[in-house]
Amino acid sequence: MSTIAAIGTALGSSGINIIRISGDKSKDIIKNIFNNYSKLSPNTIVYGKIIDNEVFLDNVLVSYFKSPNSFTGEDICEINCHGGSYITKQILETVIKNGAEMASPGEFSKRAFLNGKMDLSEAESIIDLINAKTKIETKIATEQLNGQLFTKIVKLREKLVEILAQIEVSIDYPEYDYEEVENSNVIKLLDLEISEINKLLNSYEEGKYIKNGINVAILGRPNVGKSSLLNNLAKYERAIVTDIAGTTRDVVEETINIGDIILNISDTAGIRETEDVIEKIGVSKSIKKIDEVDLVIYVLNIENKLSIEDINMLSKIQNKGIKYIPVINKMDEYEKMFFDAFMSELNKNNITTTINISAKEDLGIDELKSKIMSMFFDDTINNTNEIIIVNERHKKLLEDSIEHLKIAKEEVVKCMPVDIISIEIKESTRKLGEIIGTDVSQDIISKIFEKFCLGK
Amino acid sequence: MEYNAEEYDVIIVGGGHAGCEAALASSRLGKKTAMFIINMDTLANMPCNPNIGGTSKGHLVREIDALGGEMGKVADKTFIQSKMLNMSKGPAVHSLRMQSDRMKYHIVMKETLENQKNLDIYQAEIVDIIVNEKKDKILGVKTKTGAIYNTKAIVVATGTYLKGKIIIGEISYESGPDGVFPANDLSQSLMNIGVQLRRFKTGTPSRININKMDLSKMEVQKGDSEISLFSYDNVDNESMLNKKQVDCYLTYTTEKTHKLILDNLHRSPLYSGKIEGVGPRYCPSIEDKIVRFKDKERHQIFVEPLGEYTSEMYIQGMSTSMPEDIQIAMYRSIPGLENATLMRSAYAIEYDAIDSTNLNLNLEYKGIQGLFFAGQVNGSSGYEEAAAQGIMAGINASLKIDNKESFILDRSEAYIGVLIDDLVTKGTNEPYRMMTSRAEYRLNLRQDNADIRLREKGYNLGLISQEKYNKFLIKKEMIELETERLKKLNIYPTDETNDLLKELGSSEITTCHKASDLLKRSEISYKDLIKLNPEKNILRKEITEQVEIQLKYDGYIKLQLEQIEEFKKLENKKLSKDINYSEIKGLSLEARQKLDKQKPLSVGQASRISGVSPADISVLLIYLNQSQKR
Repeated sequence: MSTIAAIGTALGSSGINIIRISGDKSKDIIKNIFNNYSKLSPNTIVYGKIIDNEVFLDNVLVSYFKSPNSFTGEDICEINCHGGSYITKQILETVIKNGAEMASPGEFSKRAFLNGKMDLSEAESIIDLINAKTKIETKIATEQLNGQLFTKIVKLREKLVEILAQIEVSIDYPEYDYEEVENSNVIKLLDLEISEINKLLNSYEEGKYIKNGINVAILGRPNVGKSSLLNNLAKYERAIVTDIAGTTRDVVEETINIGDIILNISDTAGIRETEDVIEKIGVSKSIKKIDEVDLVIYVLNIENKLSIEDINMLSKIQNKGIKYIPVINKMDEYEKMFFDAFMSELNKNNITTTINISAKEDLGIDELKSKIMSMFFDDTINNTNEIIIVNERHKKLLEDSIEHLKIAKEEVVKCMPVDIISIEIKESTRKLGEIIGTDVSQDIISKIFEKFCLGK
Repeated sequence: MEYNAEEYDVIIVGGGHAGCEAALASSRLGKKTAMFIINMDTLANMPCNPNIGGTSKGHLVREIDALGGEMGKVADKTFIQSKMLNMSKGPAVHSLRMQSDRMKYHIVMKETLENQKNLDIYQAEIVDIIVNEKKDKILGVKTKTGAIYNTKAIVVATGTYLKGKIIIGEISYESGPDGVFPANDLSQSLMNIGVQLRRFKTGTPSRININKMDLSKMEVQKGDSEISLFSYDNVDNESMLNKKQVDCYLTYTTEKTHKLILDNLHRSPLYSGKIEGVGPRYCPSIEDKIVRFKDKERHQIFVEPLGEYTSEMYIQGMSTSMPEDIQIAMYRSIPGLENATLMRSAYAIEYDAIDSTNLNLNLEYKGIQGLFFAGQVNGSSGYEEAAAQGIMAGINASLKIDNKESFILDRSEAYIGVLIDDLVTKGTNEPYRMMTSRAEYRLNLRQDNADIRLREKGYNLGLISQEKYNKFLIKKEMIELETERLKKLNIYPTDETNDLLKELGSSEITTCHKASDLLKRSEISYKDLIKLNPEKNILRKEITEQVEIQLKYDGYIKLQLEQIEEFKKLENKKLSKDINYSEIKGLSLEARQKLDKQKPLSVGQASRISGVSPADISVLLIYLNQSQKR
């Protein structure tokens, strides 16, 4: 069986996280990435450093449980690292790079069961874990969201089942005088459903940010105040979780909290044309960073005017369609005339809605913070009544569902026969049903008899 | 007084639509077979609607025919009107329905059975099923007159005769349908050997003489101008294809009808509690319809002839169990029926049925070797549903005797598979009617391709002759050749082509197109394509129809085939009969009980049992995984 790994603790602002590795290769993996491997023996805990390809990642404690005396019955190694989602994920990635596979939900428990470490009846919850696909996620939908997602999906399905019942009744009872389903009505209903499901899907992005945090890169030319902005943001929230100092890397990462939201911030090397080889590498890394993040904070400095690098970089960001905030730093030192000239220069280059701050004097940080929030969350999102999709399986099912509805709509327009159209609508209904776990065809038949009067 | 009579391989109890197909299948497979019927003159009777087929039922008839059954052939010989329903609604749901000459159907079917080798028919009531001491294996049957017939397998196909009770208003009496004796003793015998029984209910409307009707007040309902037939054997039968058809009529209930019913509801046994059986939702009585759908101003009433040589008409839509005096007034409140006299009164009928979840998928009763059930006694309704189970029970009884593997069709192969799986796996709380919406893969289960799906199986079983099978293989090859030809055939953007496209309301082409791609356009038919490419010799409709559907709906058919593959994965995960589910601790209590009782053949079948949750299925999968390792 393969060796699996997963983060065993909740991500977020906890102080310590645990990465669990189970399988034959557990020890080999640790050997590759842990400097004090030689001291590791069964049922001990050893302090040391996790090093990925000569890059230091974190000071950690590693424990080792030898097969069969472990939770799963296989060799297990656990890495206790510092909290913060970024560093934990880095270590997990390293573990996976070294030969482990991502564990699927409930897989540790499943292995424990399969290896005879656990009787099934010992814990019903373990079964729930094994069935995470249907149960836990339904639980999220029903309990954690106060049943709102459940209710919403039921409603969406209900409308589709109703139109299906109309189609089916016209098929199974062709000679009865029920009105045939009118195309315009079907299209109207399909449009409505598509837009409702789209709304839910849009919330997934937001849900994702809530769950995993927003990845932010701070970009700008050298010495515009990028680092002091980062420090300021971190200090401001007093929530530095991991600080990877002393590395040779030129992108510095921080995980900080604003309100309930985590920002994973990368501070990058200043961007400028340079002949220096090492600096060039740093600059190109900074540019590459753009592709990896959800948001770029581009720091400009009134003193330095707008350079050709700034303009190139900003237009690159704009072209890629990445969310960005132009921040003008060192506002404490500006003079009105100076500022107006700078702004008009910016406007000429299509850059508007800047945030003006002074990292040194703590000015404008609040404004920046709320700007970030408003870029990722609708105002309504703070309203707890809104449904948020956080589960990737749900998202996939909603996407599938919408896809079938779109095809159905095209078919209606093309005047395809109803049984073909019903295939797509049924499939879409089935996908929605998978979110909440119900059987389609039974529903339609019940509906038919509830709604229509038929028989001999 | 008892005496030992003949010995048989298979005995069929009942001579309705299930019994006839079972008897024919078993005797055609070389088994010495006997069929017992209470009244010889009711063999293959239609005590309710005088038609064969209809939505999804027409599919069943075609499937029976593809397997080598008789229903479609007799229907073709005896129809008086033919109609392909749902022509505008897509290929999967086209359904053939024939108005049948009820008497002639009986005569032709009886003659077929009489001339069948290996088959004897007896007019006798079976009162006892004889079993071994352990009551886990059948040995024979006993008739009311004391004759004992030993046998290896029994197919019980008693329809609505088991403890049949007719109810008309305040009056009720023991009776089978159409005034025939019921089978009163067999129920007790079945219970004695451990068969669980329950009461189901159904009903039928009145029959009225056409000479007492004013047809001018009704709308005429004609058959199709181009006649379709059921049997694959009859595709070129000119006399059938040119048969003169008889009309049906349409009229409606009135305000007066509704008032009469509502005013006399207290006299309806349905509402007074006199009827205990569970009736079907899809076949409600008129009083049910009026109570449940108060807003509907009028209900349709179809008037259908019972045959060519009779004036009796069936009044579809007016099934009732009201007392006779109310019935007369009710029928007379309908336009065209003002002067009607009721030749046969409408009635409700209650009967004993088994719980179909006690059957295996081969229709054999769990725990009693050799005891098969088919038809309405299993809780289904309809002649076609009965016949479908009949042929399957006949085949499986024969296979059982030969110690061969059961013949089971799954949900992706046939409506028959859906029907039997629904009955056996899901069970039913009301008489079960086939519907196209019950089939998950209906685009694949079309009535036009039943032979492509099932002919080979029928041949392998031994129910299809070499000659017929060869004919089928030629048809299949011609379909493939023509399909390939159209996939390669270039249609060039000539003026002639574009003129025709314009005429059809289709967009013009500017580059060369494959004929098969043009056929995908909904407005272009195979016939139109032929106009673009006239040199091709004319193929028969059964060929061109297949080519057209397969090419036109290619994408959808492929999608459905993918879904079927997905479905088969769980169907192919077999569960042994020896699994002790009560020992699998992760299963919910309900799932353990249901699985232990039903002993499903596969994880797929287990997943369709009510009360078995997705979580239980996961536990089963782990269990299987684990036991394979050991």
